[in-house]
Amino acid sequence: MKISVRIIAAAAALAACSLASAQSAGSWMARVGVTHLSPDVSSGNLSAPSFPNTKVDAGSNTQLGGGITYMVTDNLALDVPLATPFKHDLSGAGSIAGVGKLGSTKAIPATLMLQYRFNEAKAAFRPYLGVGVTYAHFYGEKTTATLNGLSGGTLANPTTAELDDKFGALAQLGFVYNFNERWFVDASYSKSFLKTKIHLSSGQSVSVRLNPDVFAMAIGYRF
Amino acid sequence: MASKLKLLAAAMATVGLLAACGGGGGADTTPKAKVTSVKVMGDSLSDSGTFGFKFTVQGSAPTGAGSTMIWPERIADQFSQSLCAHFRAGDENLTTYQEVATCTNYAVGGGRVNPLDAPTSPKSVLVQIQAASKAGFSADDLVVIDGGANDAADVIGALIAAAKGNSQPLNAMVAWLDSKAPGTSTALMTQAGGDASKFAGLAAGAYLQTLAKTFAGSIAQNVVAKGATRVAVLNVPAITKTPRFQMVLASIAKAAGGGDQGAAAAAKQEASFDALVQVFNNQLAASLAGQSQVVLVDFYTEFKSQISNPAQYDFDNVKDPVCPITGVDASGLPTYTFPTCTAAALSATPGKSSPDWWQHHVFADSFHPTPYGHQQMSQLVSRSLAQKGWL
Repeated sequence: MKISVRIIAAAAALAACSLASAQSAGSWMARVGVTHLSPDVSSGNLSAPSFPNTKVDAGSNTQLGGGITYMVTDNLALDVPLATPFKHDLSGAGSIAGVGKLGSTKAIPATLMLQYRFNEAKAAFRPYLGVGVTYAHFYGEKTTATLNGLSGGTLANPTTAELDDKFGALAQLGFVYNFNERWFVDASYSKSFLKTKIHLSSGQSVSVRLNPDVFAMAIGYRF
Repeated sequence: MASKLKLLAAAMATVGLLAACGGGGGADTTPKAKVTSVKVMGDSLSDSGTFGFKFTVQGSAPTGAGSTMIWPERIADQFSQSLCAHFRAGDENLTTYQEVATCTNYAVGGGRVNPLDAPTSPKSVLVQIQAASKAGFSADDLVVIDGGANDAADVIGALIAAAKGNSQPLNAMVAWLDSKAPGTSTALMTQAGGDASKFAGLAAGAYLQTLAKTFAGSIAQNVVAKGATRVAVLNVPAITKTPRFQMVLASIAKAAGGGDQGAAAAAKQEASFDALVQVFNNQLAASLAGQSQVVLVDFYTEFKSQISNPAQYDFDNVKDPVCPITGVDASGLPTYTFPTCTAAALSATPGKSSPDWWQHHVFADSFHPTPYGHQQMSQLVSRSLAQKGWL
């Protein structure tokens, strides 16, 4: 929610200094929509002591999304996708498949994309390809009674978890469709390559490739 | 241009600012299921202090606050419940005992599905089940039951005795079988073709199979049919891997001439003893199957996995009991005294590199797990409970 307020504030600030027409060099654009983040998990084994082959899985999440784009040239864009923090459930897999939710974590990916937008600046339809970097910050990890029981925790000393913040890379394809000079719709799919490590207070850790598929759709305004 | 880039930087910084509001991990330890009482029936593994101590290394107190948390107590803790021994007795044969109505752990050290010497005492897990049933079960109870390990040990002991010429213990089991189903021994003898050792093996299997059926039948009749909706039953662990039976097998190897020949004889015996444990477990699984209120915890397989792959469980010794030997029993095997085997005494053992030397052994004495072994058991049971959606 905070982010969307800031997007509007940023949009207002940008509106004051925008002169260019169409999505040409120097244009600023802001958009608001939804972003769906679906981890495609490949989990390592939880380190000892643990049941052999203990793995984790992560659930998907949809949040209010959007972003800000700056056209460096008529075709090259810098894009900062924004979204309210994602919340992902972590569940058991491998030898602990079926135990259900082990915990949850919130995640904020801070991302910068460099996009190449095809067609002329004034074209209505502009597909694009992008590459980017992301820094995923995980916080607010909350574990469950299930994890507590599985890891030998007690009520007095429950097992907690923390995820490492990590840099990742992204590849993206998407398009912009301009309804008119000002308004457009932006849709994209990004594959994120992101690996993190989950640490339990009971001493074990597990490396997890989250590699989320990111689907974003937003309505935007050019200033 | 520069000011616009600053705006872009500001947008990124906004993300950074939000990112900074993170914090350490927290825990919400509310279990999935509402459990308002944990009821336990079983043997020494589950006994919270019938005789004033627990069958593992003692904590700073033998029972209650400060005492070692055994596996059912760790499970109860997950549901914000605590346990205490329902039966209290001064002597291990329970010739006299008291009942504490407010305590819901009915398990008794030495508990058996069929204690031939005291079938109507609380040493019988069936008697424990009936006592708990009499007190009543509700849908918000979690019932955890273990049993059969001592029965399997009795059977193996009886077979060893019979091989040495003392058929009395085995005959008692055969007599019990005949009392349950007249003509059983005659049929088994026919099946064995008159071969005494074959007959012994068949009788041992039939006895354990009947016990498993009886045990499962009692759980269905007195627990599930009486309103319990969450029942976890542990099968019998691979007791041949305990130091007690490893010592027995070592003496079998020695008697068979030692060396490769002795090892082969012991391995053959171990396999046949282990097969008997599996007879009980397979029958228990078959008899409990199809009841959605019951989850069978495969302690047998997990225990074997712990012994064969100790590092995976952070065990550093799978052979040596940590408690000191305090005597010798009638069969020449060492005995141990749990009340004096305290964590403090073990940590003060001279000549050890660390006061924690005993912490990650599997065995407290030659048959029972250390506190860490109990933790591992609780984790195994937790997995089954979680898979049922109860934890």
